[in-house]
Amino acid sequence: MSSRRAVYPDVSEILARKERGRRNLASLPFAEKIRILEAMRDRLELFRRLREGRVQEAERS
Amino acid sequence: MNSTLKVINKMVEDGVIRRYAVAGAVGALYYLEPVATSDVDILISIDELDPPASGFMVLKPVTDYLAKAGYTEYRDEGILVEGWPVQFLPVADDLDAEGLDQAIEIEMPDEAGPIEVNVLRPEHLVATALKVGRFKDEIRIRSFLDLKKVDFQALAGVYDRHHLWDKWARFCEKAGLTDPTILKLRT
Repeated sequence: MSSRRAVYPDVSEILARKERGRRNLASLPFAEKIRILEAMRDRLELFRRLREGRVQEAERS
Repeated sequence: MNSTLKVINKMVEDGVIRRYAVAGAVGALYYLEPVATSDVDILISIDELDPPASGFMVLKPVTDYLAKAGYTEYRDEGILVEGWPVQFLPVADDLDAEGLDQAIEIEMPDEAGPIEVNVLRPEHLVATALKVGRFKDEIRIRSFLDLKKVDFQALAGVYDRHHLWDKWARFCEKAGLTDPTILKLRT
């Protein structure tokens, strides 16, 4: 067993930036957030169709 | 979604529903960061029926109206209205009734002029999420707390009136919340 301790980088700045981004998103106008939501939905729809395609393919084989 | 909201406003105009408020994930979206959701929850009040209908019969006036307008397709348990599955949730208890009564009115910009939309207040969204208690509801509550979008005094009032303190205590324990301003909401 190795006695060396793992050294991890300090990611606090990255996490803080992520948190700032989250707050910025939350403060956007409702209409802008709806647009983001619709874009998310479109992307998820694409994944859903791909997943369904895979399931159908698996069922056929 | 503007077209969906216009149809819902028209339902109020035509007297099918008396009042409505956007609830659930899209209601929370007004206050929080965008989170993916596939449907729109609309809390509605329908004129009192005598005798009161129950189950899906409550929604019959809504579904009949929408069917006449050509909206007959269902997706994810919601009626597809202008591309969005809409789940109409009739007021089912005092918390819903209060939430609907105190909903705020906002304006959504639109090419044809602003659309008025009613949205539940954050305290009612949190209280409803607490009442429902699914994992995604708990995440939503955490978001409201993290982003400081809740008026704690107002939330305490909602918990008092709707007897939600036990659920709140369990949620705080489960979520590891120890902040006294959150734990001691009771005034």
